[in-house]
Amino acid sequence: MTRTVSKYMRVYAGGYDISGNTRSIGPLTWTFEEESMTCLNWPVAGTLPGKATMGCGTLNGLFDSTAITGLHALQSTSGVTRDVMIPIGMSAAPTYGNPVYMGQFPQTGYMVEPGEIMSTVSITFSSNDVSKGLKYDKPWGVLLHPLGAETEANTNETNVHNNGTGTTAGGYLMYQITAVAGTGNATISIDDSEDGETYGALSGATSGAIAHTAIPCAGIVQLATNATVKQYLRFQVALDTITSVTFALAFVRG
Amino acid sequence: MTANTGRTTSNWVSFNVHDSSGTLRTIPVDSINGVGLTYPELDLTAFQDKVRGVLPETPDCTITITGPFDTTTAQAVGTLSGSHTVLSAIAGGVTPLSLDVQMGIRHAWESGEPQFGLTASTPTGFLCLEYTVDPSAGKYSAKFRCNPGSDAPAWGTTAET
Repeated sequence: MTRTVSKYMRVYAGGYDISGNTRSIGPLTWTFEEESMTCLNWPVAGTLPGKATMGCGTLNGLFDSTAITGLHALQSTSGVTRDVMIPIGMSAAPTYGNPVYMGQFPQTGYMVEPGEIMSTVSITFSSNDVSKGLKYDKPWGVLLHPLGAETEANTNETNVHNNGTGTTAGGYLMYQITAVAGTGNATISIDDSEDGETYGALSGATSGAIAHTAIPCAGIVQLATNATVKQYLRFQVALDTITSVTFALAFVRG
Repeated sequence: MTANTGRTTSNWVSFNVHDSSGTLRTIPVDSINGVGLTYPELDLTAFQDKVRGVLPETPDCTITITGPFDTTTAQAVGTLSGSHTVLSAIAGGVTPLSLDVQMGIRHAWESGEPQFGLTASTPTGFLCLEYTVDPSAGKYSAKFRCNPGSDAPAWGTTAET
């Protein structure tokens, strides 16, 4: 069995790793509308799934005003949409292939709760931001790159995700870039392969060139819903004069 | 062993459902609710009746389960597969699924002991309408209802396929 506990979960939002101030988050909702239908000669009532509702619930954490890392510094403004990525490590820190829940969720509240000793905050998130036009009703993907630094293009055939088969239903990626070293541009993308040996760029699965001045940052990139995604996936980076980029990358197959 | 009769414990309850490729998988659960049919009552009592009376309408079957979040790769039915492995690939799908809740009687279920469910054959089968994870607890919850036009699930003693 491969089970886990919350200490192996991480939370990234908007290009920041906020795990160090997060005590809990959830529930990670994935619910489909249902309408019970019954016709005269049906043996049992039935329903088809309607629209999906996805949302990451409420984040409970520590009040912290430290610039760059503190929840108060990063999340005290509500009414904005956050790119949230929640990789779940399986009895270890998140690594390649682990499940990831992600989406672009409006932050609808930031409430400080002064306690008798520690002051805490509750940050509420709503379901997906409709203005983002997400074309997929799936929030669960896989981690193609755990949060960490890369200094050069990926030529490895290990640390890849094998889906067991290719698909023709597109998908979307989320990147969370937390830091860079040097100046210039960084591009985060995905390669795919039919055999796990010969890789090529997965068309459209790229962050585009991101200037160092824009980092930290996060985003979602969607493929066409009929795009072919081969069986094996791996992360890829392109750096010009940047010497190192620290990021997490996940992908949801359509 | 031969099939037992009598009382049992949850140790021997097994929850099995089709994965996205139509293969039955056994997933870990720590609660199952709604194993059975519920018939809405239609009150048809007239002023002149001496006794209030009802008739049963079309039944409903909503099965909700909870259990540990688990990413174990798919295993042969009877051996636990990961809950996330199976459920994350069937939630929201519209292909009817076989579902089989097996009540082993003081040992692992075997043919002849009670089970509830049905074998998928379009339009018959279940659909998974919810898969929600509480990562702080390391657990999931999921909900199943019948596909429109499905046969009703029933109690039996033969495994679904």
